[in-house]
Amino acid sequence: MRWLEKATELISRRRFRKGWLAFIIFFFLVFVIIPTVFVLSYAFTNWGDIQSTVLNDPAEMQKIWTAIGNSFEIAGIVTLVDFLVGMPMAWMLVRKKFRGKEFLDTIIDMPLAVPTAALGFSAAIFWGITPADLTNPLGLNIIGSPFLLIILLHIVFSYPYMVRSLSAILEQIDETYETAGRTLGASKLTVARTITLPLFRAGLVTGIILCFARSLSETGGTVVALTTVGAQKLFYTAPTLIDEVKKNSITNPALIPELSFISIILIVLALALLAVMAIIVKRAHLPIRKIWPRPEKILSRGLAPKAKDFSSILFLSFIVLIPSFFIFTYVLTATPSQPMNWGMFGEALLYSFIVAGVVTVIDLALGVPLALYIARGRSKRLPETLDILVNVPLIVPTVALGYSLGLFWVGGQPVNGAVGIVLVMLAHIAFTYPLMVRSVTGAVEEVDPVYEETARTLGAKPVQAFRRVLYPVISSSILAGAIMAFTRSLGETGATRAVVEGANTAPNFIVNLVQAHDYYSAALACIVLIVISYAFMLALRYMVRKRRRD
Amino acid sequence: MPVIKLEGIGKRYGDIKAADGLDLEVRNGEYLCLLGPTGAGKTTALRIISGLTKPDKGKITFDGKVMNEEEPENRRAVMLSQTYALFPQLTVAKNILFGPDIQDVPDEVKKRTLAEMLDLVRLTHRPDAYPKELSGGMQQRTALARALASGADVLLLDEPLRAIDARLRISLRQELRSLAKSLGITTVHVTHDHDEALVMADRIAVIRGGKIIQVGSPAEVFDNPVSPFVANFVGQSNFFVGKVGAKREATEVRGENGRSVMAQPCSCREGENVVVAVKVGNTEISKEGEGFFEGRVERILFEGRNLHIDLDVGELGRFAAKVPSWRLGKLSKGDKVQIKWSAEKASVFPVPPGGLEEELRVE
Amino acid sequence: MPQVELKRVTMRYGKLRAVDEVDLTIADGEYVTILGPSGCGKTTLIRIIAGILEPTEGEVWIGGREMRGVPIEDRDVGYVFQNIALFPHLDVEDNVSYGPRVKDLPREEQVQVAKRYLELVKLLDKMEMFPSELCGGEQQKASLARALATGAKLLLLDEPLSALDARVRADLRYELRRIVKALGLTTVHVTHDQEEAMSVSDRIMVMRAGGVVETGTPEQLYTQPKDIFTANFVGETNLLEGWVRGRAEGKSLIELRDGSTVEVTECGHKEGDAVVISVRPEFVFPFTDGLPSRVQYVTYMGTYWRVVAQSRSEDRVEFDVPAAEGKLYHQGQEVYLTVNRKAAVVYPRPLEGIAEAVKLE
Repeated sequence: MRWLEKATELISRRRFRKGWLAFIIFFFLVFVIIPTVFVLSYAFTNWGDIQSTVLNDPAEMQKIWTAIGNSFEIAGIVTLVDFLVGMPMAWMLVRKKFRGKEFLDTIIDMPLAVPTAALGFSAAIFWGITPADLTNPLGLNIIGSPFLLIILLHIVFSYPYMVRSLSAILEQIDETYETAGRTLGASKLTVARTITLPLFRAGLVTGIILCFARSLSETGGTVVALTTVGAQKLFYTAPTLIDEVKKNSITNPALIPELSFISIILIVLALALLAVMAIIVKRAHLPIRKIWPRPEKILSRGLAPKAKDFSSILFLSFIVLIPSFFIFTYVLTATPSQPMNWGMFGEALLYSFIVAGVVTVIDLALGVPLALYIARGRSKRLPETLDILVNVPLIVPTVALGYSLGLFWVGGQPVNGAVGIVLVMLAHIAFTYPLMVRSVTGAVEEVDPVYEETARTLGAKPVQAFRRVLYPVISSSILAGAIMAFTRSLGETGATRAVVEGANTAPNFIVNLVQAHDYYSAALACIVLIVISYAFMLALRYMVRKRRRD
Repeated sequence: MPVIKLEGIGKRYGDIKAADGLDLEVRNGEYLCLLGPTGAGKTTALRIISGLTKPDKGKITFDGKVMNEEEPENRRAVMLSQTYALFPQLTVAKNILFGPDIQDVPDEVKKRTLAEMLDLVRLTHRPDAYPKELSGGMQQRTALARALASGADVLLLDEPLRAIDARLRISLRQELRSLAKSLGITTVHVTHDHDEALVMADRIAVIRGGKIIQVGSPAEVFDNPVSPFVANFVGQSNFFVGKVGAKREATEVRGENGRSVMAQPCSCREGENVVVAVKVGNTEISKEGEGFFEGRVERILFEGRNLHIDLDVGELGRFAAKVPSWRLGKLSKGDKVQIKWSAEKASVFPVPPGGLEEELRVE
Repeated sequence: MPQVELKRVTMRYGKLRAVDEVDLTIADGEYVTILGPSGCGKTTLIRIIAGILEPTEGEVWIGGREMRGVPIEDRDVGYVFQNIALFPHLDVEDNVSYGPRVKDLPREEQVQVAKRYLELVKLLDKMEMFPSELCGGEQQKASLARALATGAKLLLLDEPLSALDARVRADLRYELRRIVKALGLTTVHVTHDQEEAMSVSDRIMVMRAGGVVETGTPEQLYTQPKDIFTANFVGETNLLEGWVRGRAEGKSLIELRDGSTVEVTECGHKEGDAVVISVRPEFVFPFTDGLPSRVQYVTYMGTYWRVVAQSRSEDRVEFDVPAAEGKLYHQGQEVYLTVNRKAAVVYPRPLEGIAEAVKLE
């Protein structure tokens, strides 16, 4: 094992560690951050073009602002609803013990397993008023407004994000504070309102930002849903507009300034709004000092809490779960209009898997070290800055990210083949890398540094301390990050289409089928994709649960 | 076993000076207790010795060799934290053998070391247990065995008995010390508990505000404190403020209202304002006879072996005394008693510049 | 009249009995401490009284009312936590006035009440500060004020001093009792520190492995403990193994393992019984004659020296000598030890052996 010793010796030397760190940060900046925001520079280099083609075209400007307005309104409503309904659910999961809790815990993540393109289709045929050949006798088909439909769709996949964020914060709040409040005479509701909620605030920002950004980003599902109800030319969200313009810009390059403009506006507004939200949530004073002892006590006991819990579960079932899986009923009741091209679908699946696989491996290799650096470097300026930057690709809507990245690497030119797959991978790395880093950072921060420090005083070099002491504890979080990255990549539509229009990914395949009105094949493809993603999800839950039990 | 020297160590965290011109020498093979209140900089000093924290200025040497740039894993100074930090996913045996595993020690040697260690800390029957299955005392012994098995020269203990039940602490103190001494390891033991330091240390170093205020044997630090703070921190003291009167074999100190007390000889001048400190345990009270002044029994607290008596002494404030509990029947609340002490038990200090109350403040 | 009554209170977790049929009656205004090693069930018990945990069996009566089904907030009990639990987002005044605020008292009254109790614990000048700006002792005082401000007549203290430095603990201990007695509160205090228990309590209940060992005043438990575990746990003691050899005029003669005899006050055991003598270090004296022993080591304790010796009867015997005489004793020296007859307590030899019977963990 001589060479292993030598290798350990070498990489423990300070100069090597510094060089490695520099490389990691370089990768992060050049491959993740800069491509994500590169399109902003277009505003400076080609302002003239933008002015002439876009700003001077009032009809187009109207379309753009409406789309952006729709996106932000939808995201806002979705986030609000998610918070109001997710909070009682998070409370149930963290603070209460009941039979079937583990089952509930697993189901909540189910929508995450469904690629949004499939979700879009499923939700549309459940809620929406569809053309006759699509109408399913089991569907509700009551929503006529595309606006409402998209809201309902977005709630489905952002709900788990919100519940998970809220749960994570709630778990960190020491229950002793709540007990203390109760010994001082406060009922459960009073305690939740006056003690838990204010303590929540710091972490709440993250939950809101993630939820909002997720809704803002969403492309595939929205495109599919709108197409299914026939509203794709009537109603636009910013991502669907970008998607359409991008498609048209391949044949009409004059549309590029418009494309860039929309992307820029989207990014700038998103970052600005979220910064504002962060400040408001942190500063906002919950001015209600007054306590109404008797009504609050009544609401804390007996029927009221049970009703609250019941309605939470009802909401989960009807608004989130059933629409997600409605597609299965479609396949059972409808008839195929064309034979399914399994060959092409197989190719698409393979493409998606290869991309997701490579992306995940790179995220692991280069994201974990960054996470370690950030987590162990608290209170120093560079790690703190990197920590904030890591969130940027999560906030930037993925379709804008994809376009910006395409602009950075190949100047927005259409590409194909090998270059195409590499670009798609780079795009997917950009928005999955932060997921990995955040997951691992969170896990490392929960581990007391004293373990690694003790190991070092016992003679272990830093890499040995990591391998023997830290890694066993965080391995399940690393795995969780990896699976999150993998499924996210597998399900992504917007970024893929924005960077390489004709990329043959599975979600893209589905979107194309829907746009060609071959609904049955689309549904079949959705189901296959759902089953595979769900299998991965289950594996994740099992691993994480196993580790937690130890 | 190295002689450890800290010279002029300084370390800041923002506005807080965790170490401020800290000088300390730890002798070869000695058991040194670093005693001070929370926030005095004890843990920082320990971390600087171990290499986990780098000082802003000053130097640290082992046997004369400058160690400032040396990484923790190369110092052979093992740290035992308050929480023991046993690796939760490893068994007792694997925890203990962590050091030898890292060093790639041959298997037969490892087996022998493990057996020796388990025997030394009386855990031979639990090598396959996991840390969470062990009691507090057993966890501590496992952590100790792990530290010793790594072949370290220096043992750094950060409040090792803090998490242990009060009654158990008393038995573990002896065990811990004899273990370290029998192996001849240089030990630096950080604590806030002066009883612990008195019992365990070869020498005590009193630390406050990032500086070492006094170093000496337990007897020296207890009987000859260098400041009112040390006088009160290493065993509670009573204080009497006055002016130096006559100086002969004992120093007379005159307070207000004509009261005067006797103290040990000092280098103070006549007429100087001084503070006399005498340990609560050395303060004698009796109902008969003559004392320096009179006090009234305000409260009697039964502590088992002793009674803690709180006395009201008018403008002089409160005095306390400890007497053996068999006197319980003979003293009651409201009794008037005479207070006195032997002159050689009372120390004399100049009045501290910030005032006595500020000087004695612990937090 | 918050009298507390626990009747056969039991807490089971599967097969484990964390609390095993505990009976306890506390009179109005009494200060009772529940004392025991970690894991003895004391914290579980106090949480049951507060209503944080519901017992598997048994009854909890507070102020003449049975508490089954009564939620925490309706029990009118003040609770001080081991880890302090001051609300970090509220300043000291808001923390202390939380109780009155919950009752919807007018704001001026809330502030008045807060000020009153903060003055009592001498923290009035820290009213506007936040918990993170206070040191340990101050935080605990604020926590006490907060519990008192609810106006509850029953105060529960869950290891209130354990997290504090030794020095601060000693100072706060006396304050605690003074305040509580001044307000006329009934207090239940939980701790593992026997010195703390003895200095503050009217009565102490010693617990071990979920059950009650014995109950008594501090003096009773220290001078006449009924159980050998108490003898060793509450204060230090020497335990000598022997057999009863004779009885005469109010004295009993105990023969030790090496044949030496020790005289104790009449102990009520029959001749031939296997017994253990418990005698505290301060009641063992070096003399010209007595139990032959060899000094193992000597430790300076400040105002006295503790000498640890091994007797010829293979018992470990510790005794104290005044500071001035300490230097007379050194390792290896032979001494003869006698015992204060009245201070020795005799127990039947435990079946499981002495070490098991007094085991602390």
